Amino acid sequence: MFGLFGPNGAGKTTLLRILTGQLEQDSGSASVMGIDVKKKPMDVKKLIGIVPEVESPPTYLTSYEYLYFVAKIRNIDDIDRKIGQWFDFFELHDSKNVICRDLSKGMRQKLMIASAFIHEPKLVFLDEPFINLDPIYQRKLREFLTEYIDGGGTAFLCSHILEIAEKLCDKAAIISEGKIVAEGSLKDLVREGGHLEDLFMRLVKKGG
Amino acid sequence: MRTLIRLMLKEELRTHTTYSGQRFFTFPIVVFIFALILALFMERLLVEASLSQLMLLALASAFIYGIGVGSFGFMGRQYIEKRYGTQNYIVAMPSLLPITYRKTFLGLYIRDSIFYILLVLVPAVAGLLVASPFTGFKITSILFFFVAAVLSFQIGTSISFFGSILYNRSSLAFITFTSVLIALVILGGALKVFDIQLIVPALGFEFSLPPFAADYQSALLFLTVSLAMIFALIGLSIALMKFNFIVRDSRHESILPKYIEMFSLSKSYKNLVGKEFVDLRRSGTIGKMSFSFILPLVFLSFTSWFVNTGLGIEVGFNTVFYGAMVGFLGVLLYSWLNNVDSADYYSLIPVTVPQVIRARLIVFLFLTLGISTAFVVIISIMNNEVDILWLALLVMFITSIYMVVMTAYLTGLRTNTFLFDMGIMGRFAIMSFLPDVCLTILSFSLRTDPLFSASSIILVLAILIGTTIILLKGIETKWRRTGFDI
Repeated sequence: MFGLFGPNGAGKTTLLRILTGQLEQDSGSASVMGIDVKKKPMDVKKLIGIVPEVESPPTYLTSYEYLYFVAKIRNIDDIDRKIGQWFDFFELHDSKNVICRDLSKGMRQKLMIASAFIHEPKLVFLDEPFINLDPIYQRKLREFLTEYIDGGGTAFLCSHILEIAEKLCDKAAIISEGKIVAEGSLKDLVREGGHLEDLFMRLVKKGG
Repeated sequence: MRTLIRLMLKEELRTHTTYSGQRFFTFPIVVFIFALILALFMERLLVEASLSQLMLLALASAFIYGIGVGSFGFMGRQYIEKRYGTQNYIVAMPSLLPITYRKTFLGLYIRDSIFYILLVLVPAVAGLLVASPFTGFKITSILFFFVAAVLSFQIGTSISFFGSILYNRSSLAFITFTSVLIALVILGGALKVFDIQLIVPALGFEFSLPPFAADYQSALLFLTVSLAMIFALIGLSIALMKFNFIVRDSRHESILPKYIEMFSLSKSYKNLVGKEFVDLRRSGTIGKMSFSFILPLVFLSFTSWFVNTGLGIEVGFNTVFYGAMVGFLGVLLYSWLNNVDSADYYSLIPVTVPQVIRARLIVFLFLTLGISTAFVVIISIMNNEVDILWLALLVMFITSIYMVVMTAYLTGLRTNTFLFDMGIMGRFAIMSFLPDVCLTILSFSLRTDPLFSASSIILVLAILIGTTIILLKGIETKWRRTGFDI
C-alpha cells in the first residue's frame, strides 16, 4: 500500500483525481497500470476502484440499487451474491431499501467503499476512507485492506490519520504545496524521522 | 436583510462566473445587441406578424422566464442538504446561524428578481430605447412595455415560488394548486365564469396603454391587481414555508433492475436511462417538469385566446405555431433533467459525459413525446384545425429533438449555467431564434398561401434534421474530455 500524506491544500486530492481520470492535468504525464490516464481515462476507470474524499452516492437510489447500478455499469456477473457479501461485511441489510439521501454519513461511506471494491479491482485509490466510520468499522476496514494487499491488491491511500497509515503502508510520499518532499519505503522514512507524525511535521514545516 | 441580499447577489454572480469566467459579464451586452437588432428590423417583421402578436410573445416569454427562475423553491431541500456535491449556499445558513429559512428564502426571491431583471429585462429594454430614434417607438411606450415585462416576470416568479413551496409541504397541495390554476384559466377564459382580466393583469396593463390603447384608468387597475397578486403569492409562500428536517428513513422497493429491463430498447444506455427514470420518479421531478412545461403552454394558448377575444386584437396563432412552441419549450425539460441530482459520482465509474448526455436525450424523448403530442392534438381540435395536424406534429417532433440536441451540444450537463456564457448564449440564440422566426412567420401564412407555406416549413424541418444529426455526432467530440464536475 502506498500512502500519500500532506497538509490541507497540499494537492493530495488533486493528484488522486488526476491519477484516476477524474481531472485532466495541465502539464506533465500520468500513467496507471501502464495506461496513459489523459489519453484513456475510461480504460483506467474500468480497472481501478475509487473511494472519493466526499461520500456522494446518487441521492435517489437505495443502497442496494446503487451497488446494483455500479455492478451493471461494470458488467459484473453474479451481482446479487457480490452485493450480499458487502451488505454482510458492513451490516447494511437494514439499509438495503433506504435511499442514499437518507443514509448517515457513515453508511454512505460504507457504500462508497463497497462500490469501489465490488468488481474486485487490482488497484484502488482511497481518499480518507476511514473518515465517518466508527472505530469498529475502521478496524474492520483496516483488516480488510491488509487482506486485500496480502492477496495481491495495491492501494493508494490519502489520509490524515497517520497512526492507521503507518500500520498499513509500506511505501509513502509526503506532499507539500504541490511538491513531493519525501518519498520511499515507510521503514526508511520513519527511520529518518522517528515517527511518521514527527517526519510529517518536520517536512511540512520546512516546506511551509 | 440588505447585507443578506448583497451577499446572495455576490454568490449568484460567482456561481455563474465560476463556469464561464469574466465572459459572463458580456451576457447582458448580447441581450442588448439582440434587442437592438430586433428593434431595427421590427418594421420588416411587422409585415408578417402584428405588433400585438410580438408583444404577446414577449410578455409570455417574460412570464415563462419567471416560472423558471421562481422554481428555486423546488430546490429547497437540495440546497439545505448540500446536494450539489461539495457546494453549499447562503440559503442553507439557518442550519448553522441564528437566521430563519423564511428570511433566507425571501432573500433568494429578491435576489433572483433583481439579478435576472438586471441580467435580461433591463438590457433588452435598453436595446429598444437606443433603437428608438431609428424605429420611431415612443420612449413612454417602451417604458410601459418594461413595466409590463417586469410584472409578467414577477407574476411568473411568484406563481412558481408559491407552487414550489406548496410542493415542499405536500404533493397533494401542489397538484391541487396547479389544477386550480389551469381550471381558472379554463373557467375565466373559455367559459367566462368571471372577469378574465383578473388572471392576466400584466397583459391587460400593456394592452390598455399606447400604442394599443389609452385607457389609463384600466392600466392603473391592472397594475394594482398585478402587484397585489405578486405580494399575496410571496406572502403566502413565506408564511407556508416549512422544511421537514427530521431524519427520514424512507424505504423504497428496489425498482432499478425492473426499470433497466423496461428500457432495454435503449441498449447500451439502458442502465443510465433506467437510473435516470428512478431519479425522476423518486425526486418528484416529473411533477416539477409538468409544472414548468405544461403551465407555459396553457398560459400561451390561453393568452392568445384572451387577446383575440377578450381584448379584440387579432393574433392568428395556429396549431403549427403551437407545434413549434412545444418544440422550443423542450429546452426547459432538458434543463430539469440536468437538475435532478449532482452527477459527481459518475466520475468514479467508467461512464463518460457524452454517454450521460445521450441517456438524458433518450429520457427526454420517452418523457415528452406523449405529453407534447397530446397537447398539439388538443389544440388542433380546439382550433378546428385537424387538417394541419400532420404538419403541426411533424414540426413539434423535429423542433423538439433539434432544440434539445442543440442545447445538449452547447451546454452539456450544465444547461442553466452555460446558457449565461456569452459565447454559448450567442450561439444558442442564433440557433434557436432563426428556426423559431422562420417557423412562426411561415405558420402565419399557412392559411393565405398553404402550398408555399407548407413546403417552406418542410424545407426548414429538413435543415433542422440535418443539423440535429451533425450536432448529435458533435456531442462526443465536444464533451468526451470533460469531467463531471465542470
